[in-house]
Amino acid sequence: MPKLLALAGGAALAGCQWLVWCYAPEEATLGLMQKIFYVHLPLAWWALISFFVVFLGSLAVLARRSEAADRLCAAAAEVGVLFSGLTLLTGMIWARRSWGVWWTWDPRLSTALVMWFIYAAYLLLRGLDMAPERRRTVCAVVGVAAFLDVPLVFVSARIWRSIHPAVFASRGGGLEPEMKLTAVACVAAMGLFWAALVWLRKRQLDLAARLEAADADED
Amino acid sequence: MLRLSLAIARKDLVLTLVRGNGLVQALLLGLLLLFVFSLAQAPGEKVGPQAAAAMFWLASAFSQVLIFNRLYDVEEANGARLGLALLPAPVQGVWLGKLAAGLVLLLLAQAVFLPAALVFLGQDLVAHPFTGLAILALVDAGMCALGSLLGALAQGQSGRESLLGVVLFPLLTPLLLAGIGVGAQCLGAPAPDGPAAWLRLAAAFDAVFLGVGLVLFGFIYPGED
Amino acid sequence: MDTLYWLLAANAVVWIGFGAYLAFLAGRERALALRLARWERSARG
Repeated sequence: MPKLLALAGGAALAGCQWLVWCYAPEEATLGLMQKIFYVHLPLAWWALISFFVVFLGSLAVLARRSEAADRLCAAAAEVGVLFSGLTLLTGMIWARRSWGVWWTWDPRLSTALVMWFIYAAYLLLRGLDMAPERRRTVCAVVGVAAFLDVPLVFVSARIWRSIHPAVFASRGGGLEPEMKLTAVACVAAMGLFWAALVWLRKRQLDLAARLEAADADED
Repeated sequence: MLRLSLAIARKDLVLTLVRGNGLVQALLLGLLLLFVFSLAQAPGEKVGPQAAAAMFWLASAFSQVLIFNRLYDVEEANGARLGLALLPAPVQGVWLGKLAAGLVLLLLAQAVFLPAALVFLGQDLVAHPFTGLAILALVDAGMCALGSLLGALAQGQSGRESLLGVVLFPLLTPLLLAGIGVGAQCLGAPAPDGPAAWLRLAAAFDAVFLGVGLVLFGFIYPGED
Repeated sequence: MDTLYWLLAANAVVWIGFGAYLAFLAGRERALALRLARWERSARG
């Protein structure tokens, strides 16, 4: 089933490539470079959704001591770090081309970076050698605290930047209908792919946990 | 619960300040950081107010990691941690007590760092004493609320100093930005918008993480052996 | 033309990232299959 989902996601992403390159018109001010947007935006959204899933899963771990929710958190956090990392890289390449710099204190950009740091630390914490019970609660606590931090990070990055003169105009506002359709299709396709990745990883972790338990029984 | 917190805070302060040398390490590390950063000035040049404020808060953040590791380390020996957890009082009292002790220690450290930053980095404190104190109090409270929660979490781990730092620093980002923003204004950086937005942000951070600490501390303390 | 290079680079980064994670997943899958096979052998024999 998850393999099927992965195939569907892959196919949908491939179909979206056609939409991106042939269907959507070229942006008037940003030019051809704007086409990164159709990868960049879905990656960013699904990264944020992954972190939201980690938050919900952490709450479930704390409230019901659910082991399955803990494994879901692990899978979602991994995929979230991957997606937000790719968001950052594509964003940097875009910024270099359109603005001439690799990095700028844009609130969204900085929020993405801080989130990447937070969840990379979360994954580090997961990899530590701890008693499983203890690791579950510790990670859940960090998972909850991390997600509550996200809006604060965003607001603070915004205030931080408003102190400096605005160097870069904000990105193009309204999208043409074809572009909007393409963007929505890309978000949906990326969603399929995201779900497949999380599902696959979760299933692996489930199997690993079962094997662990079986080994423990034998001993 | 408050009685327990007060007792714990007093015990920890006595253990750290009178019998131990916990604060000396934090102080030395912070001073060293400030000194090394003063090398960023070319001869005859002055570090800008914002850079100076950033260095001050960085020194504070590093010494905070040492402080909270030390505070939670006190109960590691002889299973004293279980004894604390078995007290007939809400376990959150421990969190609050450590928070208070950490706050006192952090303020003491900053009382050294502030003049050191002014001297090493050649800064002048320009007016705004009330704003400066307000942001100091708000930022320190938030740092200690989170430090007290995560300190318990890193307890008993190998390499916990760096672990605590890696988990804590990104979470503290909004607070550090607020501290640096207002600190720069206190050192004379031009500020068209004033400190109000930062003060509100720091207060919101405090509210969120005081709540988070109060609710979640019970889950991770005392852990297991 | 120059823009196209940048665009290609950005897309390449994305697919390299996905590919790396998929490779990691495949590696995990193989390790798990090995462990499962070993466990089944030991459970029977």
